[in-house]
Amino acid sequence: MGDSEDVGRRDVLKAGGAAAALGLGGGGYLNALASGGDGASTATGLESFVGQNEVTQTVCSPNCRGKCPIDVHVRDGQIKKIEPHPPEDEQYKRACVLGLSHTQRVYDPTRLKYPMKRADWSPDEPNPTGRGPEAEFERISWDEALDLVADKMQSLKSEYGAESVLFHEGSGNYGQTGKSFKRLASLFGATQSAWGIDTNVGKGFNRITGHGAFLPPTNESEDWENANTIIVWGSDIFSSQFQMDASKVLDAVENGAKLVVVDPVYTTTASKADLWLPVKPGKDVYLILAMMHTVFEEETYDTDFLRSRTTAPALVRTDTGELLRAADVSVDGRDDQVVAIEDGEPVALEPETEGDYALFGEYTVDGVECVTSLTKLRDHAADHAPAAVAEKTGVDADNIRTAARWLATRGPGGIASSYALGRYTHGHIFGQAYAIMLAMTGDYGNHGNIHAHHPGGTTLAAGDWAAPSDVDPGPSLIFPEYPDAMIDGDPHEIRAVYSIESNMMGNQFPDRQRYQNAIENLEMYVVADMHHTDTVQQADIVLPVPHWFEQEDIISGWGSHPHLGYRHRVQEPLWETRDDYEAIRGLAERLGFGDRFPETKREMLRELASRDDAIDFETLYEQGTQRKETTPVVKYTDEFPTETGRIELYDDDAPSEEGVSFELPRPLEDRTADDHEQADEYPLMFMQKHSRFRIHSQYEMVNWSREINPEPQLDIHPRDAKARGIEDDEYVRVYNDRGEMVVKAKYNEAFQPGLVNTDQGWWARDFVEGHLNDLTHNETSDVGRCMAFYDVRVAVEPAPEDVDTSMYTEGNPKGSGAATPHTGGD
Amino acid sequence: MTNYGLVIDQERCIGCQACAVSCKQENNVPMGQFWNRVLTEGGDKLDTPAGGYPEDGDDGTLDMHYQPTACQHCENAPCVKVCPVNATYTRDDGIVEIDYDKCIGCRYCMAACPYNARVFNWDEPEHVPEEGTGDVEARPQGVVEKCTFCSHRVDEGLDPACVVNCPADARIFGDLDEETSTVSKYVNNYETDRLLEDRGTDPKTYYIRGEMSPGRPQTSDKLESELDDDAMPGVPAAKSGGDD
Repeated sequence: MGDSEDVGRRDVLKAGGAAAALGLGGGGYLNALASGGDGASTATGLESFVGQNEVTQTVCSPNCRGKCPIDVHVRDGQIKKIEPHPPEDEQYKRACVLGLSHTQRVYDPTRLKYPMKRADWSPDEPNPTGRGPEAEFERISWDEALDLVADKMQSLKSEYGAESVLFHEGSGNYGQTGKSFKRLASLFGATQSAWGIDTNVGKGFNRITGHGAFLPPTNESEDWENANTIIVWGSDIFSSQFQMDASKVLDAVENGAKLVVVDPVYTTTASKADLWLPVKPGKDVYLILAMMHTVFEEETYDTDFLRSRTTAPALVRTDTGELLRAADVSVDGRDDQVVAIEDGEPVALEPETEGDYALFGEYTVDGVECVTSLTKLRDHAADHAPAAVAEKTGVDADNIRTAARWLATRGPGGIASSYALGRYTHGHIFGQAYAIMLAMTGDYGNHGNIHAHHPGGTTLAAGDWAAPSDVDPGPSLIFPEYPDAMIDGDPHEIRAVYSIESNMMGNQFPDRQRYQNAIENLEMYVVADMHHTDTVQQADIVLPVPHWFEQEDIISGWGSHPHLGYRHRVQEPLWETRDDYEAIRGLAERLGFGDRFPETKREMLRELASRDDAIDFETLYEQGTQRKETTPVVKYTDEFPTETGRIELYDDDAPSEEGVSFELPRPLEDRTADDHEQADEYPLMFMQKHSRFRIHSQYEMVNWSREINPEPQLDIHPRDAKARGIEDDEYVRVYNDRGEMVVKAKYNEAFQPGLVNTDQGWWARDFVEGHLNDLTHNETSDVGRCMAFYDVRVAVEPAPEDVDTSMYTEGNPKGSGAATPHTGGD
Repeated sequence: MTNYGLVIDQERCIGCQACAVSCKQENNVPMGQFWNRVLTEGGDKLDTPAGGYPEDGDDGTLDMHYQPTACQHCENAPCVKVCPVNATYTRDDGIVEIDYDKCIGCRYCMAACPYNARVFNWDEPEHVPEEGTGDVEARPQGVVEKCTFCSHRVDEGLDPACVVNCPADARIFGDLDEETSTVSKYVNNYETDRLLEDRGTDPKTYYIRGEMSPGRPQTSDKLESELDDDAMPGVPAAKSGGDD
């Protein structure tokens, strides 16, 4: 908060802890407030405009967990304010500080206005070194832009093959446009982007349960109030991911649920917790093994669930470590079925069957010595008793037991696992571990069960429209593979990139300098965006995209809530901006695929919607939202999609990394390891928390937020700061072997000593020097193949005395800088 | 009589700033000014706790709460008393308000207000977008301004913007003189504090600390008094000991 707002703050703090709507003929989504003022002056002498606005119902659409239906108020041709709009199921009415602030974003000077070409770029002489901060652009027409792009794509296709063109899609616009982008990429044969962020934890969970891609499915948020124990693991859900649904967690707490937060940081969420476990970074698997140990020791596991829905009773051969199969021994059943002991006899284990199977013990079947899977797990957990891991994890043994006890004995609950865990290199192991933990406590398939820090929500099921079955699509690359492909041609050459809905390569990807080097190998870099981002500044061709309020779409409620939303246009596209769909269709026409794309966006949306039996286009259009009734509120009620149809506690087909094999969740650390080779040189772990003021790099420019949160900071424990001679509010240099940044130090007792943080999503223009992603790396684990943003070591020192901090320290009488962005976009 | 008041459940408040920003948006508050600030009750800075980080496996002493703070709409408002031109006055419904045509910018009220709730337009007010936002006209240079409980909305039967936009259901607005109102029930049934009660200002903003309330789910932007019972499915009854 700006200094002016701090005045007298201490004095004010308490001592010692003390539409209804009228249709206007244009469709139900277009409303005016029923109770209308007449613009008369109030007793304050001011004119009131209540009731004078034209109100359009639409949807906020970033890659957050909101997808909030909102009302946009327009008066005198200008957007005046945003309010949440109750969707069809009105319990999902909500919005957050970001969705409410589009009023400023829509008109921000960073908005792109016209198609542009880098002044020194041409198809034959791309001058790649001209890209970057100094690049200058010249305005061109849409036809010229699309001709240039299509011609270059064709020439690259004939010379190097279609896969030399990469279609990169980010997550910056949660509509259906991406499907048309994939469709064109498939028809052309381009390389397509595949996700390499936040897929880590889900991979481990999936190996055990058959469910999970990013994070696994979890009950819809309306059901969270039925939880009796909520363990939020590595997520500040009240600041990010769930803040707009905070009421639902709070309602659970108010109903008597125990809220446990596992986090190295005393977050807003931790401040609301009944129990906070301040785990050290990277030690989460040790901690959850200790919780399993408690459940075994106190025998509070759910025997019925373990017998009927897991492979806990399945026998593991002592000789090979593999699961005993019915075919290995004379047991009736299919060859590949696993075997359990029932009433002293071996039987093939069917899915979803209740039998009095032995959960523990050693058995010999046809001369083959075996133990049960649960015995293996118990013996593994035995090495990780709470007292044994307390020092390593930084968590008190009694507190570990309490958390485990609450989860196991207080009825339905769960673990709201997070993406943050997957931002450590080997985060998939935690996914495996907590899938098993929740199996032990029987927390699957019931009201009040929780498996992820955001709900599943729903999506539009459009079948094969994005990847037509009659064409052979090109290959795909996951994000972390881009640089090798661009620089070394590994696994194949990439010579051009067409990017939509993404500020990744210039801002959000780790090891940013390496991506910038990679871009230098491109002959053409086409970037479509709403704002003049750092990625746009690297582009050769810039395609200006309208604000969400200027392009209609169907918005999935993925990761959010069980509605689809119709994003109605609030106003015409400003300047010469054009919906991505129009650019994609324009390219498709030039590339010979025009007949595969409906003439208008509306027609495309109608066609896609017609493929999903659970929704009706007209209803969705008129209502603005439609709850998709086929989306189950409670998940995991059916047979698990694994080989056995059960949760597989012991994975005899497990992958391994660095000599550690994952039949059971075995801890493995990368840079968080206490004895890591860089521990002395770069002693601090560095994370980049999601703050409430940005979604990835979106909303960076919102003036209201910048008044409260004006610049990047380094959260650092005062002890770590003082040991380095760093004063509070002093500018510091944060560095490692990849790069550096200069930001302001923020003494923050919430941060564990040894751990520092800069919130993610700032643009290059916001840093005094460098960038937070000049510090992160692009290395991934073999199994996770997921960017490990938090598994990073840094050192910190006072910034050099000659560093120029005037952007934040001068010419800024209001202490905020928010009203006058110091650098403009286009 | 109607006597409007606000209950803020600090156990529910997540410090998300939606109330602070939607206040600025609705009321066309100039850049650099806040009518409603979400203060951190903890460390010296926003979003920092008081106390010490756990050491050697102990539980530590960290503590943090959020305290959204705006004009408290005092029954015995010191700002009203000191205004030499009667620009600041108390409406019949208890809302403390400023007649900006009368305000001469002397700022006596700012000195008198113990809550630092008022701001003064030293410069020509700056708005982004320039044309302004929200549903009420901007104030000119040279006047003091502050929270009005969104009186322009209340006059039309609507809840204040900060209440409608709270995702934690932590803000409840209503008539303190109506004993069945949610604000009255919560004031009666939960432990509440008012800021700087020893100053004798008799504020009409109540803060719940200790036991969390059910809040007030907002599926309508109308004042509670404008809703019939059937239209308030989300409004919970008082938790216990209510007189209804």
